Amino acid sequence: MNASDAKDEFFGEAQELIDALARDLLALETSSRAGGDDPELVNDIFRSVHTLKGLSGLFGLNRLGSLTHELENRLDDMRMGRLSVSTSVLDVLFRAVELLGRMLAAARRGEADDDSELPSLLASLKTAGASKDQRADDELAAFELDPDIVRVLTEHEEHRLRTNVRNGTPLYRLRARFPIDRIDKALDELKQLAKPLGEIIAYLPTGDLPADGTLFELDILYASATPLEQLRHRLEGQDVAIHRISRKSAASHTSLPAAPDVPVQAALPPPPRAPSDTARDSVPLSLDKPFVDSTTNERAALQEPRHGGGIKTPVPPKPEEEGSRAALAGRMAHTVRVDIRRLDHLMNVLGELAIVRGSLARLTERLRQHATFRDLTTELHRLHRAFDRNLAEMQSGILEVRMVPLGQVFERLARAVRQIARQNDKEIRLVVTGAETEVDKLIVEELSDPLLHIVRNSIDHGIEPQSERAALGKPVEGTIALNAFQAGNHVIIEIEDDGAGVDHDRVIATALRRGLLTEEQAREIAPRDAINYLFLPGFSTREAVTDLSGRGVGLDVVKTNIARLGGVVDVQSERGIGTKFTITLPITLAILRALLLGVSGRTYALPLSSVAEATVLDARAIRTVEGREVTSLRGETLPLCRLERLFGHDRTAKTNTRSYIVVVALGGRRVGIVVDELFGQQDIVIKALGPSLSSVRGFAGATDLGDQRVGLVLDAAALLDEVLSSGERRGMEAYSVGR
Amino acid sequence: MSGGKLSRELSTPRASRARALPSGEDREEYLGFRADKEMFAVSLALVREILKPPPITEVPRARRDILGIVSVRGQITTVIDLRRRLNLRATDPTISSRVLLVQGNDEVLGLLVDEVTQVYRLSPLEIEPATSVLGANVGSHVAGIGRPRMRGLRGEVQNASEEVLILLDLAALLSS
Repeated sequence: MNASDAKDEFFGEAQELIDALARDLLALETSSRAGGDDPELVNDIFRSVHTLKGLSGLFGLNRLGSLTHELENRLDDMRMGRLSVSTSVLDVLFRAVELLGRMLAAARRGEADDDSELPSLLASLKTAGASKDQRADDELAAFELDPDIVRVLTEHEEHRLRTNVRNGTPLYRLRARFPIDRIDKALDELKQLAKPLGEIIAYLPTGDLPADGTLFELDILYASATPLEQLRHRLEGQDVAIHRISRKSAASHTSLPAAPDVPVQAALPPPPRAPSDTARDSVPLSLDKPFVDSTTNERAALQEPRHGGGIKTPVPPKPEEEGSRAALAGRMAHTVRVDIRRLDHLMNVLGELAIVRGSLARLTERLRQHATFRDLTTELHRLHRAFDRNLAEMQSGILEVRMVPLGQVFERLARAVRQIARQNDKEIRLVVTGAETEVDKLIVEELSDPLLHIVRNSIDHGIEPQSERAALGKPVEGTIALNAFQAGNHVIIEIEDDGAGVDHDRVIATALRRGLLTEEQAREIAPRDAINYLFLPGFSTREAVTDLSGRGVGLDVVKTNIARLGGVVDVQSERGIGTKFTITLPITLAILRALLLGVSGRTYALPLSSVAEATVLDARAIRTVEGREVTSLRGETLPLCRLERLFGHDRTAKTNTRSYIVVVALGGRRVGIVVDELFGQQDIVIKALGPSLSSVRGFAGATDLGDQRVGLVLDAAALLDEVLSSGERRGMEAYSVGR
Repeated sequence: MSGGKLSRELSTPRASRARALPSGEDREEYLGFRADKEMFAVSLALVREILKPPPITEVPRARRDILGIVSVRGQITTVIDLRRRLNLRATDPTISSRVLLVQGNDEVLGLLVDEVTQVYRLSPLEIEPATSVLGANVGSHVAGIGRPRMRGLRGEVQNASEEVLILLDLAALLSS
């Protein structure tokens, strides 16, 4: 791996960490609002920040490092209970994570980031750490706990101990012994058993190692509300003595140091056993026998095979790090980070294989003609079928790997919504459904900007100010709904707000003024069509912004970006009720099912996902409306498009008189493409055209058709646009001439 | 796809070919080819492969000199007709036509020529500046004029040949 690979990997991992941070912060906010306290979550956040800090240091990103460092300090305060989770603290944390994201993005582009915000944020992070109750009354003193134990606990462990004491959760000491050669496995098993029933606060080696060094003894500080009998039952078979750490009686309170209940460090002698007042609760599973006893060893030996499948931890871990490290190892073992270009390459190879498959099929067919080869043909046929099956499986496997849930983008949006809402002093509730819907990784990456654009528009200009909403009788809190779902080969994303909606009349007026519409058209245009003018570049001007309460800002960019992904965006709006954007996207860009069609002797591929149906053209049913050919399909008017005319093919004499209509439908708009021949369906791997052809419109790429032939893949969205807007343009020309 | 004799020759290591040729001045290798009646040459280092013309798929709405696209081992490659690019009389490919895969400005492009002739090793002395031959009006795609000399078996110069090669500057030729 070279340096730039490593750096790519770092950026990828860092971005994931920041995403996870934001997600966890949101969860933390939700849980703290509900009045809960989630130590695991705070711990997760702390660990992510810690890892990020380490990575930044490794790659010399010092400013990122200093921010993560301060962030880590505050999170440490939080998990130690020195700092409570409040809205103001969360705000600072959100800001910090936001800045981390921007700093990372800048570093990725190799730019210096805007450093104006860092000092002030560092300062607020520092002051956010103003400590709360430094020391609660010594609640721990009431327990039969050796002060030495409390002294060796890490701060976090002590915090957890205090929290459990405060909650009144009974405390236990589990004295466990493990054969030294398999301590990690055995400890792991014990943890698996103990964790569901309570919280492990600390692992404390007793230091009471037997002379021959085959056993290791550990005290586990454990808090659990589970009755002792159940605990005992649960841990049966483990070499563990369970001891309830009870509250002191008044008498023993004074004599605490004299009767240490739990031994601590290596230097200390073996402790005296449980004092009399706790003996009732103490149920040792293996009593204080000599350390090396044959039963223990036998039991351990018998247990050995059962642990073969256990989680492997390479080195006996330091107790307090054990949990996080095991979690990390688990995560690392099951995930691989792969450059998507490698998957693209595999996909290309697969495409080649598909061509081989085609040739094999043809060869088999040819062999079938010869009676002499019958046996061989049958065998070849069978082989071909197996090949076919495996190839299909491999293809879907690779596609699956490329798929990621839309939740990734939605999380980023959730953060942005929070931030933009605050800037605008609006209260926004974001309702997300379908975050688990999966889309090609490449699409997800390109989706972030357009979605953000739409959401920003909704908050900035769609949702009314709070006072206005109150006056209108709407809930003060605005709602933005983000819905994703799969529909056939498409993924639909809807962004819906309950804001003011778009003023159609103003759109039409602006379109008229800009010469995008004729007066006549303006009178006849349906609101649904008028609103689409928002997507024309002419609308993203300052004047339009004020005219249309901001709608139209850069929506042409949104449309272009979505179109680049082979998708379409549609908008519906109702005055006073709200606006809904609908984005329709293909699930993947890599492999497409396509319809192969022939026009003037050329073969084109049309992605099947955009084909609604195909039917025979009835020449008598063609009508002309303002110079455009239309026909009717089940009572609806269908504009027609003759590819040979659009592409300027010389009209070769056609051998057959029959033509077909392929109905292309995207985002509620339809066009019938007139073709000479339909060759059927084929899976195609779509490949980009070279830079020298980048200015040619109407093609999404090209694909190998087999037989050394290359076919162009039609860009359905672009064709729809071209055909449907050509009429408008013609109308405009007529208009300007008439003027 | 290729398999021609010349492309086989090109695929042999450069060093072994160089040994077969007389050593001497600071020479550069050029690939010579014909388009219409004119002889051209480009630096051999820029030529990746020589192909017999595969079936070319026409791209509607593309520039006139772009013949179309072909697939070279799975890679979609744009093919440019040198005749049309240089405003020479256009014809259909013949049996001797070849597509040169050359490194363009930001992609590998195919260049359709009528015939590939031979590899020339030209010393600076055998290259004349284009302006001195053709005047100031010469296109920027002409890097110079090659006048290869006939050589004896030991590489000694015998006399100037009749051949005139237009040395093409590919970067200038292919920039649109």
